[in-house]
Amino acid sequence: MTPEQYQKRFIEKHLQFIELDTAGSVLQNTGRILPIQKGQNISEAHPFFESLEPVFTALDAPQSLHCVNLDLEGREVIVDIQVHPADKGFMLLVQDLTSHYTGYQAVAQERNESIIQEELIVLKNAELEERERFKNLFIQNFSHELRNPLMSSMAITRILSESPLNTEQQHLIEALRETNTHLKLMLEDTLSLSMIASGKLELKPVLFDLKKMLDVLSITYKTKAVSKGLDFELSSHERVPQWVEADRKRLFQVLTNLLDNAVKFTEQGKITLEVGFNQQYANKVNLHFSVTDTGKGIPEAKKNTVFETYSQLTSPEKEQGTGLGLALVKGLLTLMDSEIQLQSTVGKGSVFSFDLEVKVPVESGWKATLEKDADSIRQKTTVRGRKYRVLLVEDDERVLTVLFKMLMETGQFYLDVLSDGAQVLEQVIENPYDLILMDINLPNTRGDQLTRIIREFPFKNVERLPIIGITAFAYEDHLKAYKASGMNAVIPKPFEKEELLDTIFSCLKS
Amino acid sequence: MQKSKKVVILGHFGVGKTSLIRRFVSNQFSDQYKVTIGVHISKKVVDLSDEDSVSLILWDLEGTDRLEQIREAYLLGTHGVIFVFDINRPSTFQNLKRDLETVKSKVQDRPTVVIGNKKDLVPEEEISSLLEEHDIPYDYLTSAKTGETVEEAFLHLASILHHDS
Ligand SMILES: Nc1nc2c(ncn2[C@@H]2O[C@H](COP(=O)(O)OP(=O)(O)O)[C@@H](O)[C@H]2O)c(=O)[nH]1
Ligand SMILES: [Mg+2]
Repeated sequence: MTPEQYQKRFIEKHLQFIELDTAGSVLQNTGRILPIQKGQNISEAHPFFESLEPVFTALDAPQSLHCVNLDLEGREVIVDIQVHPADKGFMLLVQDLTSHYTGYQAVAQERNESIIQEELIVLKNAELEERERFKNLFIQNFSHELRNPLMSSMAITRILSESPLNTEQQHLIEALRETNTHLKLMLEDTLSLSMIASGKLELKPVLFDLKKMLDVLSITYKTKAVSKGLDFELSSHERVPQWVEADRKRLFQVLTNLLDNAVKFTEQGKITLEVGFNQQYANKVNLHFSVTDTGKGIPEAKKNTVFETYSQLTSPEKEQGTGLGLALVKGLLTLMDSEIQLQSTVGKGSVFSFDLEVKVPVESGWKATLEKDADSIRQKTTVRGRKYRVLLVEDDERVLTVLFKMLMETGQFYLDVLSDGAQVLEQVIENPYDLILMDINLPNTRGDQLTRIIREFPFKNVERLPIIGITAFAYEDHLKAYKASGMNAVIPKPFEKEELLDTIFSCLKS
Repeated sequence: MQKSKKVVILGHFGVGKTSLIRRFVSNQFSDQYKVTIGVHISKKVVDLSDEDSVSLILWDLEGTDRLEQIREAYLLGTHGVIFVFDINRPSTFQNLKRDLETVKSKVQDRPTVVIGNKKDLVPEEEISSLLEEHDIPYDYLTSAKTGETVEEAFLHLASILHHDS
């Protein structure tokens, strides 16, 4: 073929000139893109041309229509069409650009799909956030609603337990008491969780004895494990420091939740609590905590959902991690800039672990300072040379026992104990106390209400009587409200002996 | 005599313009998304009564979120407009009133039918509160997927155009 022949063939394939009269009848046709014959009306080639009538009538300059998709007898072509005014009517120039536009289509396809995809993801996330917000609000309201009936249940249980009971009844009461305690713990976890979720929970790092904490955990969980026929082991790397600075209470909460979970879901074998040493950098130590069990393990598909709140709602069988514990662990660790890791083999067991960076004091003598401080507080108070009379008001027998023990051990207090808010006022009027230590959620009359009334008393010694509240509902808002009622200090449960004594002594001093 | 009316379908990409036409013209639907480029022309003859019919030439335009960019040539000789948004994607209707103004100015106030599509994806009770909240002036809520209200919307425009001339 000659170049001219090539050219002719190419043009025939890709270009078509159609001459029309003013009514749209074909006068001449040079190509085959549009199937049309001399004498036919152009609208027979494709309905597209039916709608071009207005274009034709108003045409005074060439007009172009780009990227026109036409279905032609089963063929899909994409053409550019130009209409020129001509002597006898119009000249149509049809240019087949199918392959050119097909490439462009692929680019547009990708772009549009990803834009839509992204948009839908954003919407989805917004929806999830809204649900999460609703959930937290719900949890907060719900746990508040739950508080009162639980308190009555505990009060009634206590009253019952003080009445004459036969052995069977005593067992039942014991079971009831345990259920109550369990509920109360769950309520606390729930509140902690919603506090984390709504950003109300702040870490409070303190210097504390990590070894001692591990020993306490070891004793507690060895007992629990043994009673279930399991072994328990604590192992701690030799370089794990004794004194560290971290939020002691929250670390304790994380570890107890992991250990509770391990004991609960292991039927035979062993629970191990291990503290490893990762590295030390200046005054920071990175530690590796892990809790290993020989339970039934968590299937791959569930590994993420075990950390979700209320994952049990969607799972019919009882699985490890159902409940709030693991969600709380995850939330607390996130606050601590750490992350919970889970390795698990179905049938073999699970390892929950996390790395935690804690501060260690570098100056020598810090420990002496610490102990001297504590000593000096205690000394100052004993120097005064007398014991303090303290009224202790608490309806939960367990808490009462703990408080009683903590205070008696110091040898510095005479203690009167009440468990009912209604008796407090009378007692305060009749006795010259140095301090009141009072639970806030008391049966009959609440601690903060009592405080308000006491502060109104017309006796001089009473209006300045230090009152310390104890509460399990440790929202910042609550604490403020309680202090506003006239309490000198509020201690959130659970608390440590040191915290309790420090608060008591600082109130007594001032 | 059968009259031909040019109808352009406008709206953001992915709202279901192509699918609505496909449902109306050949009563088919596909879940596959094939992006339209340029313009795709199809035709449907609509019988309005025993002796009256109108031939709709449907111009399925490449979707865009910037109506100003539409090639003027595509709009020449437009008789009517169908404007489509996707009930699921607020970005396709949050500027609806302004979009409709733009369209109006480009097509010299030709009759316009506004369609909220993909109603099958949103629960009925949510739709009305959603659209009220955004104060959306729609004429029809459709689903190209189930075919719901698709024909009504097109026929409505067809009869307006028929009486128009
Ligand atoms: N569920 C549902 N999907 C739809 C509906 N209409 C269109 N789609 C889908 O939405 C996507 C985009 O549709 P298309 O007609 O190409 O939108 P266009 O860009 O406006 O032409 C495709 O995947 C369609 O299958 C509808 O009414 N319901
Ligand atoms: Mg399309």
